[in-house]
Amino acid sequence: MKGQLIVRQAGNSVVTDLGRFRGPRYGLPVNGALDQYSARAANILVGNDENAPLVELTALDFRMTVTTDVLISVTGAPLTLTVSNRECPLWQPVSVAAGETVAIRGIHGGLRAYLAVHGSVDAPTLLGSCTPDTVVGFGLQLREGMVLETRCSLGPLRQPYFDMPLFRFGAERPPVGHELVVSVTDGPDFAEFGDSANLLFTSEYRVSPRSNHIGLRLGGRLPERTTTGEVLSRGVPVGAIEVPSREELLVLHRGRGVTAGYPVLAVATSLGLDVLAQARPGDTVHFVRTTVSEATIAYRRSMLELETLRKSVGTAFGLLGIPSPGGGQDLPAA
Amino acid sequence: MPTFAPSPVDVFESGDAALRVVAKSGDSERDWNTVHRLAEWLEMCGAEGLRGAVATYDSVLVEFDVLAVSARQMRAFVGLGMRQLALSADDDGSPRAFDVPVVYGGDFGPDLSDVAEQQGLSVDDVVRLHSSKTYIIRCLGAPAGSPMMDGPDFPLPVPRLKDPRLSVPAGAVSVAGRQAVIAPAVAPGGWRVIGQTPLALLDISREPLVPYRPGDVLRFRPIPEEEFAAYAGRMMEAHA
Repeated sequence: MKGQLIVRQAGNSVVTDLGRFRGPRYGLPVNGALDQYSARAANILVGNDENAPLVELTALDFRMTVTTDVLISVTGAPLTLTVSNRECPLWQPVSVAAGETVAIRGIHGGLRAYLAVHGSVDAPTLLGSCTPDTVVGFGLQLREGMVLETRCSLGPLRQPYFDMPLFRFGAERPPVGHELVVSVTDGPDFAEFGDSANLLFTSEYRVSPRSNHIGLRLGGRLPERTTTGEVLSRGVPVGAIEVPSREELLVLHRGRGVTAGYPVLAVATSLGLDVLAQARPGDTVHFVRTTVSEATIAYRRSMLELETLRKSVGTAFGLLGIPSPGGGQDLPAA
Repeated sequence: MPTFAPSPVDVFESGDAALRVVAKSGDSERDWNTVHRLAEWLEMCGAEGLRGAVATYDSVLVEFDVLAVSARQMRAFVGLGMRQLALSADDDGSPRAFDVPVVYGGDFGPDLSDVAEQQGLSVDDVVRLHSSKTYIIRCLGAPAGSPMMDGPDFPLPVPRLKDPRLSVPAGAVSVAGRQAVIAPAVAPGGWRVIGQTPLALLDISREPLVPYRPGDVLRFRPIPEEEFAAYAGRMMEAHA
């Protein structure tokens, strides 16, 4: 049975997925959930495809009511989750009965949270993805009163004894706090910054309030380019660290323009980008130098965590007779 | 049939999930051909873990899923692609041509007189040079699939704005360095805006979202300000 989620307080929330992977070849940024680990975990915890549409909340409180029984999960930064005023655990599946209100308040120690619904929600797609693109004017930015259609319903799941929590999955949570450590590899233009490139690893940087999903701006001691000359526009990777001005370092995130003409000093690793997704204005960032092969191993280890989680969830849901909702969008091979 | 002679390339690590491949023959036409053919080959093969290839002037950014494939494996795959290119036919395809009306200067091109002054040219000369060349669309770039081209035959490269504008309108016709571009959507920008076209480039209800592709050709045609409204909202279309 289908049902509806009615947005009562939108805060700053969008419907997104893991990204528009076919976008960059057409000059559109990949976008997608900024903290990919937390987004994948949220979907896994309700038995969805990892790439299924879900809600991304940035900084502000959010509230919705549901017209049918649903199973949800909330991951990402620490916050207070209540269902009809009873406090519920984060990083676990949570049953919500028809008519109840889900409230997410007080995101802290991080910036972004993810709300997934078993069976996901309907969202229009562009090039195979529902993730918003603010430049071309596409996507679901949630507003008060907006209605999201869920694709399936799931009766309330309750522990028969003492109403104890039914699930206790040990999903590994990303580190939180105001001192962030971000791994980076040397960029293709590292040498253009001469000895000053090492400042990146010995200085600390402060996150500017002018940061967003396109890029984070960081104040601190800046490496300086020692070469001059015209640079032709090139494709720049998500995570590219550039020094476009004398005031700030720029770390490009998933909303980045696909091409740019600045030299790339370093590149944040895939895991480092998840850390940056949770950086709040005023937080301190330390960059740590790593290699591509170490970064690859670290990333695969974290994906293995999620695979283990998926197996535990699959086993538990199988025992409870919870059907697999399917319905996610497959990640394109190319 | 003559075969294509690809440029030699360098491959650089660009984080754990991308490689930058740079063609280095020094012949810009051959380099451009090499990177676009390589991108096409990579996308066509649909290699396991390949997310996509973004070719520009002399380089391709190859993006991949770190779980499925490592940077080292993707580098080997790029090497295989380069060997395949040397066996491919020297065929340019059939480019389409676009005619782009532009109102130069004034509110439509606030940087026109600065560009003229910086080049040591009259405003009329800048417009004449900009509108007398047939441009090849080299790649689709930011924002929103902008057609990126080699610049007009100005005497000097054009410096970017020191303080980029927070908002440049859709249709803005700009130059920077030795490059030229049209903006399909409103976005911030540091390039020098010398004019604006009333045509729309982007339609997100269509696929592809923009009507041109790399290799197509384009000319700018000056029109008086009074004609702007007559074209407004019309889509840019290839002419027969």
